[in-house]
Amino acid sequence: KKHGRGCSGSLGRLMHPLVRDLYKRILRVGRDYPAGVNFVREKAKAKFAENSHLRDELEIKRAIAYGRYMVREMVGVIKLRKYRTMKQRYYA
Amino acid sequence: RHLHILHHGVIAFRVPCEMRILVGVKRVIDYGVKVRVRADKRGVEMENVKMAINPFCEIAVEEAVRLKEKGTASEVVAVSIGPEKSLDTLRHAMAMGADRAVHVLQESADNLVPLQVAKILKAVAERETPQMVLLGKQAIDGDYNQTGQMLSALLGWPQATFASEVRIADGAASAEVVREVDGGLETVGVKLPAVITTDLRLNEPRYATLPNIMKAKKKKVEKLSMADLGVEEKWHLEVVKVEEPPKRQAGITVDGVDALVDKLANEAKVL
Repeated sequence: KKHGRGCSGSLGRLMHPLVRDLYKRILRVGRDYPAGVNFVREKAKAKFAENSHLRDELEIKRAIAYGRYMVREMVGVIKLRKYRTMKQRYYA
Repeated sequence: RHLHILHHGVIAFRVPCEMRILVGVKRVIDYGVKVRVRADKRGVEMENVKMAINPFCEIAVEEAVRLKEKGTASEVVAVSIGPEKSLDTLRHAMAMGADRAVHVLQESADNLVPLQVAKILKAVAERETPQMVLLGKQAIDGDYNQTGQMLSALLGWPQATFASEVRIADGAASAEVVREVDGGLETVGVKLPAVITTDLRLNEPRYATLPNIMKAKKKKVEKLSMADLGVEEKWHLEVVKVEEPPKRQAGITVDGVDALVDKLANEAKVL
């Protein structure tokens, strides 16, 4: 496994680079998420911790794919909230 | 109801397009933030407040990038006028797909009213020679809805405002724009170059993902001052006071027609 700069896992293991990348993506999207970045971070940390036992490369990739799907879902929520708010403010 | 007014026909021959689009973007307080009036009542709280690209400007960037992806436009240039931090807004535009950016440094954003902005954008347009200037119809802070119109008059270019659809004719000599007007939709034809301002339903902007934001850091940003553009720093408007609107009174429910009539006659005094 490749090096990471520090780790958020409790075991002090080195983090998979794709996992780190996913976490960064989630936090970036969390900034714009209506419920707020703290809410998103808490949920993400819990889910990452749940999966921290994974060792098989394929299983890790599957979990990452699910995480990326969640990011796309959050982006959908963000875009919809913005559109609806703008529509209400300017056209209702 | 659709009202179709075509000013001239569309020429249909295939010519590779060397069309440059200039898109104006503004850094405003994020749409989701609860805006508070400053204690001195000369403005709103801007310290430690989340800022973002103006939503209508974002729609303009999206339209320009889509035209480039279609092959109609060859280059998208983003321009912003404001303090150092306006760079964030330009980076957002480049993350969405703009090729490069122009940053006109202006420290005091309060002085940037539409006429001043239009004069600066005119100078930038004369420098960049785009075939189209795309702007948001208004900014969610000022809500002036004047910049695009003023720019078009200063440049002597045609304008199509409140665009909900933009169709470029082959050869990029003209465009058909469907406008949202009070009565419905109106289709106008404009010769290019033209100024087009975007309305909400023109498109749904893409989200600037982290990989694209990283890629955008390599794109070029040109820094200019108003002096570089030959625009005089002359401020015509002064914000005298900013106030919150009066708080809306809570409604009450009445328990019958008699109570309603009584209230209308004695409290509202409309009967």
